[in-house]
Amino acid sequence: MLELTDVVAGYGANTIVQGISFTVKQGECSVLVGPNGHGKTTLLRAISGLIKVTSGTIRFDGVDITREKAEKLVERGLIHMPQGDLVFPDMTVEENLILGAFTRSASKRAKQRITEIYEIFPRLLERRTQRARTLSGGERRMLAIGRGLMGDGKLIMIDEPSLGLAPVIVDEVYSRVRRIVDSGMTVLLVEENVTRAQSLADTIHLVENGEIVRSADDAALLDERALRETYLGVSE
Amino acid sequence: MNLVLQTLVSTLVQGSMLALITIGMNLVYGTLRVLNMAQGVMVMVGGIAAWTFVANLGWSPWLAMILAMVIAALLGMLSYAVGISRLIGRAGIDFEMTAFISTFAIASILQNLVQLFYGPRQKDFPALVPGRLQITEGVSITWHQVLTAVIAIAALSALGVFLAKSRYGLAIVAVAQNLDAARLMGIPARRAYVLTMGLAAGLAGLAGVLLAPVYFVSPNMGDLPMLQALIVAIFAGLGSTRGTIIAAYIIGFVQAAVSIFWTSTYAMPVLYALIVVVLIARPYGIAGKPQEARL
Repeated sequence: MLELTDVVAGYGANTIVQGISFTVKQGECSVLVGPNGHGKTTLLRAISGLIKVTSGTIRFDGVDITREKAEKLVERGLIHMPQGDLVFPDMTVEENLILGAFTRSASKRAKQRITEIYEIFPRLLERRTQRARTLSGGERRMLAIGRGLMGDGKLIMIDEPSLGLAPVIVDEVYSRVRRIVDSGMTVLLVEENVTRAQSLADTIHLVENGEIVRSADDAALLDERALRETYLGVSE
Repeated sequence: MNLVLQTLVSTLVQGSMLALITIGMNLVYGTLRVLNMAQGVMVMVGGIAAWTFVANLGWSPWLAMILAMVIAALLGMLSYAVGISRLIGRAGIDFEMTAFISTFAIASILQNLVQLFYGPRQKDFPALVPGRLQITEGVSITWHQVLTAVIAIAALSALGVFLAKSRYGLAIVAVAQNLDAARLMGIPARRAYVLTMGLAAGLAGLAGVLLAPVYFVSPNMGDLPMLQALIVAIFAGLGSTRGTIIAAYIIGFVQAAVSIFWTSTYAMPVLYALIVVVLIARPYGIAGKPQEARL
């Protein structure tokens, strides 16, 4: 469903993603793991069109989308749930959610979807008239996820749902992510925490210095040694 | 007592007018991060267009008002297309500064074109409604001032509803609050920019029609409004719409109070002094947030 071939991307002269190729199959959950600052978020930004791809190709649903604009990709059903800092700070929780269904097709179903999302995240219902800037980190993360679910997503990319959150909150957020994965949605998840990722992934890719250094179809098989080398810099 | 009442009435009229001129400028700054120096010229465009329809063609001033707004709005969109859109996302230039200079150039070109075709002479414009309203013994205002306040407040309220409720209004606010997040929602940022520039210029054009009977119509009738809008915008905090309304009425009050209790000669100097104090005490304005640069 999503197919990357030798994708290179970065900011200006600063190349961060150094030629990444992988495929996400329909109905599957693929996870990119790896330490922070190794290009995982940048890669998501390149896929969703927020930054330009320097070289390589990205295909989605059989169409070449390498040079397509971010707003167009949302219409195609490619949804990017960013980290919690990308909410609309001076809008209420509900206004944020409504904007999640901005595309014409999604806006028709917005009313019904909003009730569904309040069911999944009762916390957002409690906070619905509060401004997003007054939410806690965990609540913002839930808002970013809920807002993404408002769209007509065919593939959802979730960026580090656990980053910077307390373990209890991480559990809460992850139980919702699991629900999305179990619903049969195609998901591309970026995660730093390998243990969390392994429990969800159908396919797992280890990213280091902007490249994929190891991939495994069965998440449990991801080589212990490769992980240790990447995270701890130890080689035996 | 009468003087106090007179001051309050003037504040209402003057403040509403200032808000009408400035809100567009701050909306543009909020979404595009461009300090739009063509806002004053759009006031003039509104005035001159209305004058053309009323004095030359003999059309109804009300129709002229609507057409003047539309013309100013179209010119605003055109100036975006010509002077700003090509600068967005260009590598190697400082967008804010380049676009700021670009709007300066647009203002200068428009002003000179109008001077070329209409001449520098001041032109009379009839009051939209004649006569005065006697409020109490010794306090009266012209019906035109009443109309100015009513139309300005109505236009501002309509803008508020548009921004809060409509699809494209929300899109503008979303782009202003977080550009990347807005794009991830599928919001076409460039369409929001065009619309913002059109709205800003249209509101300025409306202000121009309302000011025409008071200040006469001439190629530089936008200069003073531009200056006042800058003062209000800085006072409010660039980009803040709520702050703009509050700031406009405060500035309106200061102008009215100085003019009535002292002399109108000192109204502007007092404002300059006030703005210096604001810039020292709170450089980001009363409702603005400390600035952060945007990539």
